[in-house]
Amino acid sequence: MIDTTTKSRFSVKQLTVIYTIISLLSLLVVWELAARFTSASMFLPPASQVLASFCRSFVEPIGKHTMLVHIGVSLYRVAVAFFFATVTGIALGVGMGYSRLLEAILKPLFEFIRPIPPLAWIPLSILWFGLGDTGKFFIIFLGCFCFITVNTYDGAKNVDPELMGAARMLGANERQVFFKIVLPSSVPYIFAGLQIAVTAGWSAVVGAEMIQSNEGVGWMIVRGMNTGNTVQIMVGIVAIGIVGFVLANLTSALERRLCAWNEQKGM
Amino acid sequence: MKQFLHKYKYILISVCSFLFVLVVWQLVTDVFHMVSAVMLPSPTKILETFVYKLTGGTVPDGATLFQNIWSSLQIALGGYAVGVLIGVPLGVGMAWSRRFELFAKPLFDIIRPVPALAWIPLMILWLGIGYASKVGIIFFAAFISATVNSYAGIRRTTQVHLWVGKTFGATNRQLLFKVAIPTALPMIFTGLRLALGSAWVALVAAEMLAATKGLGYMIQMARLMGRPDVIIVGMLTIGFVGLLLNTILEKLQKRFVRGAKKDD
Repeated sequence: MIDTTTKSRFSVKQLTVIYTIISLLSLLVVWELAARFTSASMFLPPASQVLASFCRSFVEPIGKHTMLVHIGVSLYRVAVAFFFATVTGIALGVGMGYSRLLEAILKPLFEFIRPIPPLAWIPLSILWFGLGDTGKFFIIFLGCFCFITVNTYDGAKNVDPELMGAARMLGANERQVFFKIVLPSSVPYIFAGLQIAVTAGWSAVVGAEMIQSNEGVGWMIVRGMNTGNTVQIMVGIVAIGIVGFVLANLTSALERRLCAWNEQKGM
Repeated sequence: MKQFLHKYKYILISVCSFLFVLVVWQLVTDVFHMVSAVMLPSPTKILETFVYKLTGGTVPDGATLFQNIWSSLQIALGGYAVGVLIGVPLGVGMAWSRRFELFAKPLFDIIRPVPALAWIPLMILWLGIGYASKVGIIFFAAFISATVNSYAGIRRTTQVHLWVGKTFGATNRQLLFKVAIPTALPMIFTGLRLALGSAWVALVAAEMLAATKGLGYMIQMARLMGRPDVIIVGMLTIGFVGLLLNTILEKLQKRFVRGAKKDD
């Protein structure tokens, strides 16, 4: 298994690159052939056509805007909601983790709202905020907020009690304990929360735009569905995937940079 | 009495805070009419609607609450089963065999960042708005968490354990089934739980876009009919069923997986 001493002329890195190219190329070739020469062409446009119209979408508008504007609109929605979710989520999480009184007051209410998926709020948010951007901010906010709060709360709960005791013994006041110990030791947890929240926010914006919107990447794929335009759907999925990938990697790079002491292994 | 108060102080505060919110909510809606009933129905109205839907009321979406739950559950569990049956072996296989990983991981990595919801239009166009397309969407939601966690679980196997196994003459297959998979089981279970959560969320979205019954359809229909009380009953039911599914899996995990720590 997990054998790093493979006897081979290539280094592990080179092998990875070679195999990646082989597997992606074979996917494209199978797709292209299936779409051109089998009955699958009924519903599967050839890969080359999808790629071509993906490139074209940056200059030719889909609907009212070009691809970059659609992506920009969606990202803007995520950014605004993410900002508010970060501020309230961290405040609420640290507060509940640090003070038992706040925990007793707020936790039952939070636990009541938490299991409801953000997209299930869409009907209510349309009633409350109408069809504009506010409702979408609200949905995405909910999508991010719970993850940030839960993780921050966990972080603040898991502060080493010995550290707090030592600080108190050396004469730190409660404020110092909070800002010098509780907050810094929650940072890795907060970052883990932010990372999940970015992905969740991106997913929420797609969902929210699919159900009610006039622009953005979610609108693009739903519009493709309503007009039976498979190429447009696939172009949209490619764009959503690329942006999702970039967002996930940006946050984990940021985390590695800022919390270098907390190296975590994963996939 | 004093001791009792001291012991249950925080629980009492929790109860009071919850009741306080309910009372304020009731006051601003039904008593003082500060918020119109079209925007926010009162808690008593929601309770009334809940009882009505529970005891066989079919307005406004044409099905009782239990029929909706049942229809949603069937679809969610169907897609979930397919996702797990493919996801777990894929994750285990990618972590165990280098050659398979080299080939399969790039393909998995290009699907992974696409949110499950983004597949909805394609699935509906390909498979129609029936059972099959929703199972397809939920498959994507469940499959990714199942794969990622199984992969990470197998990767955590301690090398020394494998060496010991090899020294005692274990075959590759024995190493996989007796050493690696048992080590990975807690993480695989975590993956199963996460997968069920995302399956349930994806289902609601799918039902809101295209369905003729189910909980997502119920809240979407309630919005079109201007029935916020039914929307809130639906939301709470969705949340509750999701929580229930998670609790069941957690219980199963505690029962069948030894050595699982809370933070795994």
